[in-house]
Amino acid sequence: MSATGWVLVCACAALSIAYAQEAGEDGSRRAVLAAEQAWSDAEARGDIRALDRIFDNALVYIENGRPGTKGECLSRIRSAGAHARQIEAGTTRVQIFGSTAIVVGNYRDVGGAAEGKILRRRWRFIDTWVNKQGTWLLVATGAAPLAR
Amino acid sequence: MRTMMPVVLLICAGATIGYAQADSAADAASKIIAMEHVWAQAYMMKDPRALARILDDAFVCVASDGKLMTKADVMADVKTSSALQILTEPMVVHMHGDTAIVVGAFRTKGVERGKPYARRERFVDTWINKNGQWVSATTMVTLAAE
Repeated sequence: MSATGWVLVCACAALSIAYAQEAGEDGSRRAVLAAEQAWSDAEARGDIRALDRIFDNALVYIENGRPGTKGECLSRIRSAGAHARQIEAGTTRVQIFGSTAIVVGNYRDVGGAAEGKILRRRWRFIDTWVNKQGTWLLVATGAAPLAR
Repeated sequence: MRTMMPVVLLICAGATIGYAQADSAADAASKIIAMEHVWAQAYMMKDPRALARILDDAFVCVASDGKLMTKADVMADVKTSSALQILTEPMVVHMHGDTAIVVGAFRTKGVERGKPYARRERFVDTWINKNGQWVSATTMVTLAAE
């Protein structure tokens, strides 16, 4: 094969790899967004079993300036019962770093209560997901209230 | 005895690998905590150079007022930092392979528009291992409740 032929083969191989990576990242992005939606739905209906599958056992979060664990998060949602938190998602962006996904976005509370107070605020959040044995699990989350 | 030897060797090999993994996770956690201290130091010294290596190019920060900041924003913010003292509290690192989550808090004292301030903030940072180098991908900061 001529030198030009080899260059063409290499260029095609590089393009194929780049395309495969992008396609893989798109698939990961879709899976993470689906997991975000599943989390939101499960929290709205207080589905502890579903949340148990979505949250990694080492989940950490910060909410209202306080840190918490998976157990504390599930316990809070369980006790909220009928006053479960409901949110309206805003813009969301997903960045993939191999087996790690970062989701940055904002949302607005549209129902439910926390610590006896009706929530109506807008928040900006960062979620970190890690792919463990083919499943995206939430390992960290935090939100800060947007300035009014 | 001969049949037992491979089993014993496998157990030893497994224990060695397990020990090495635990050791490297502890090493990684120590490195990450050291970089967290460098980060705080950069704010006090108003010197963003150290952050260029620590923050990933796609880094994002959500500040305690909900403001979204990129790496460039944070590096510019460091230059005009009003912090005179930043005291970091003990941090906890959760390792997930090539991802590490750091949870901690820090106290800042400084002067803003001529007025002294003191505040305590909590953070959750995500670090990722890129080609053997740990870099911060995100930080989320909120005012501490207490």
